[in-house]
Amino acid sequence: MDDHEELAPTPGQRAGKFLKQKDIIQTIALGLFFTAVFVVLGLWFYPKWMPEAMSKEMVGDEGILKWFTVISAPIAGIVLAISAESFMNRRKGNEPATEDGAGIKTHGPVVLIWSAVSGLFCVLAIVWGIVEMNTWTSDALTNAPHALVVDVTGSQWAWSFEYPSLGVTSHDLYLPVGVPVQFNVVSADVNHSFWPVQLGVKVDANRLETTVVRTTPDKLGHFDVKCAELCGLYHAYMETNGEVVTQANFNNWIATAKANGGTES
Amino acid sequence: MGTGTIVGVIFALVTYYVLRHHYSSPWRHNHGMDLTNTHFENVTLICSMFAWSLGFLVGIGAFIGPFRWLIGKDLTDEENLYLAGDGQGISRYFRYCTDHKVVGIQYLVGVMILLGSGGTMAMMIRTNLATPGSHFVTPIVYNSLVGLHGITMIIGLIIALTGPFGNFIMPIMIGAADMAFPRLNALSWWVLFTAIPVLSSAWFLGGIPTGWTAYAPLSTQAGPGMDAFLVTIIIFAVSTAVAGANITTTVVAMRAKGMSWNRVPIFVIGSTISVALAVPAFPTFMAAMVQTGLDRTLTTGFYNAQQGGSGWLYANLFWIMGHPEVYVILIPGVAALMEIAPVFVRKPLFSFGAAIAGFAGIAGLSVLVWAHHMYMAGWMPSLNGPFMITTEFISVPTGLLFLVVIGTLWRGKPWLKMPMLCVYAMLWNLLIGGITGIFLSDVPADNYLHGSMFVTAHFHYTLMGAALTGAIGGLAYWFPKMTGRMLNEPASYASFWFIQIGFQVLFLGMFMAGAEGQPRRVADYAQVFAHSDLVSTVGAYSVGLGFIILLWAVIHSWRSGKVAPMNPWGAKTLEWTVPYPVPLVNFDEAPVVKSDPYGYGRKVE
Repeated sequence: MDDHEELAPTPGQRAGKFLKQKDIIQTIALGLFFTAVFVVLGLWFYPKWMPEAMSKEMVGDEGILKWFTVISAPIAGIVLAISAESFMNRRKGNEPATEDGAGIKTHGPVVLIWSAVSGLFCVLAIVWGIVEMNTWTSDALTNAPHALVVDVTGSQWAWSFEYPSLGVTSHDLYLPVGVPVQFNVVSADVNHSFWPVQLGVKVDANRLETTVVRTTPDKLGHFDVKCAELCGLYHAYMETNGEVVTQANFNNWIATAKANGGTES
Repeated sequence: MGTGTIVGVIFALVTYYVLRHHYSSPWRHNHGMDLTNTHFENVTLICSMFAWSLGFLVGIGAFIGPFRWLIGKDLTDEENLYLAGDGQGISRYFRYCTDHKVVGIQYLVGVMILLGSGGTMAMMIRTNLATPGSHFVTPIVYNSLVGLHGITMIIGLIIALTGPFGNFIMPIMIGAADMAFPRLNALSWWVLFTAIPVLSSAWFLGGIPTGWTAYAPLSTQAGPGMDAFLVTIIIFAVSTAVAGANITTTVVAMRAKGMSWNRVPIFVIGSTISVALAVPAFPTFMAAMVQTGLDRTLTTGFYNAQQGGSGWLYANLFWIMGHPEVYVILIPGVAALMEIAPVFVRKPLFSFGAAIAGFAGIAGLSVLVWAHHMYMAGWMPSLNGPFMITTEFISVPTGLLFLVVIGTLWRGKPWLKMPMLCVYAMLWNLLIGGITGIFLSDVPADNYLHGSMFVTAHFHYTLMGAALTGAIGGLAYWFPKMTGRMLNEPASYASFWFIQIGFQVLFLGMFMAGAEGQPRRVADYAQVFAHSDLVSTVGAYSVGLGFIILLWAVIHSWRSGKVAPMNPWGAKTLEWTVPYPVPLVNFDEAPVVKSDPYGYGRKVE
């Protein structure tokens, strides 16, 4: 950087010379390494640890977590590479250094590029989120007329589900596969949060205020219904079973429930 | 302190007795309100707790100055010197002392006690969660542990840097003889002190089973421990307002000659932005708590839906404080490490302007993001989009903070002493905390993650991994100036690695549990989470061991550590130009500042 040649070097020559220095090569190698680590981490961690997706919304949630990790990998790579490189260049000794490092007070273009790039990443995250939200909303609007309505009530410390169009109340949540569902959620006492885990949606249950959340279960099988808002003594135990079943099985379940006087638990 | 305690206890007992035996029946029967014994019990407790606080302050002499003014006199110079603890040895640390250095030490010990007890509770929480089944404590105790751990740590971290270092070091750093308002300075500490017994009393009043968020209507339902919580918050809000006004005024008005704004050390700037941000933030929490108190005593129903109130009102008030508050904690931690990095790398702070823009940008945006805590509340889904935009934009000024630190490290040869190690730990931890913050602020992803252990892991990375690491770095860095001795090196290195490695294990396990779908604040969990939770608990024990070693290092070094030279790190800021013990008025001669504090480095073209 501080070389004095007879002829001023071209930007290309300067860049070439800059890139040939040992610590710069090391930093770049470290940067690639850390970026790769974060890419692998993103692609491996969420699919490995998150439960199987049973709705489009859950696929969307997982996609954001996975791809945002991958997108932020280069930034993490830069931060960690420069840190690691300087860590390796540490100075031994028990007295403060007498010799100073390069007195770089600031570097306009670097600050500008860094801000612009982080601004771009930020806009990307926002646009991704808004597009995803819009898809959910427009799906919900299209599906609203033929959605199965389930009235969900949270109370200390249990969930109950009423199917008003079918005249059935239950403590387990049965849903037919492929049928859009609209949950109208309310609380009988304190705040709860209705969380059908594998369906990837969530909404709080409030006293005397109905909140709405919609999804379409698209896979058969079991899912967990939990409470995600501290609601007192047995908050941890406020969970119940959810089942996504075929339309035929759902009809059978409803029929059995009706035969039992409209309740099934 | 002794007199204060005695007078405080007397005030509290008298208030309790009078309310209980002389006012209970007319209150209940004559005011036409539907008040039960529970409501009246709450009135009695809240008044007694405030009486304790007031009585303690009267007893310790906090009102001597104002009282003299009231009768048209002022304190004499001798009395002011006495108040400043001139020549009083160790006893001045237990008195209403106006010397900012004494207040700084008082805060330091207070922070250590708060973080120590909050940490002990964290160990109990993790022990209970080691295996499924909640074998260690019952769910009611567990819920109280969660609430008390939360609020103890929040209070401890809010004052962790601006308390000890903001009071002891900062006035010297800017070349001032004392704070702008020495009596308010002492008042801010002792007001805060009176909140500690009040908060502790919650243990004997049924705990705080609501978490530190104390959402209504759960808080209306909770037992008298909730009264202790709300009185604590109100007292604490008074303390932060007083401290914030004092620190801000000091920095604006009392800088040494020649210290223009571009020569103010970054820690001073960070602390000032932090306390200035706290000044508007905490009153909303205070208001939220006043209303909680009214709901609990006079059945006003601010948050009661059946009376036309709304729990969402509480949630809004709480988070309007809550989101700025996390940056009140984070900013001084990062600022302290920015102060440290140039000293140990022997390079100027990279882009002082970007650092200020980063802090100011974060502070500015932080008041516009609160409802990202309420995406799933159902309060106003149409605002989720706008709040997502403001929240995601915080990543830009936060990015500048990273740039400043890595720019300072760039091609340097760092001297890896304990304070410098903390800089590296902060970079890693804030990186993880920051990236996961980007996920959480995206509304669709928050559908899955909200209220899960993933959130808990995320904010521990920022508040503990970045801010508390900053406080530890600051302690190691300024310990020689505050105690005259060096912090024991082998012990502090050992504590560093136990804490930082344990921390990664602890919260990696918690990220896994969150991704698997474990809700937060649960005393018990299903078998599928067992592995992740066990990993977390193992990490937690390592962190706990690390803090015990650190505590030993601090106590041992304070008593008999190696005597520190005046400027052990070769730093260029003013606090290293004064001897230990720092004279009462700090400088024999008022210093004149002629250059910026980071004038390191050879010339480059």
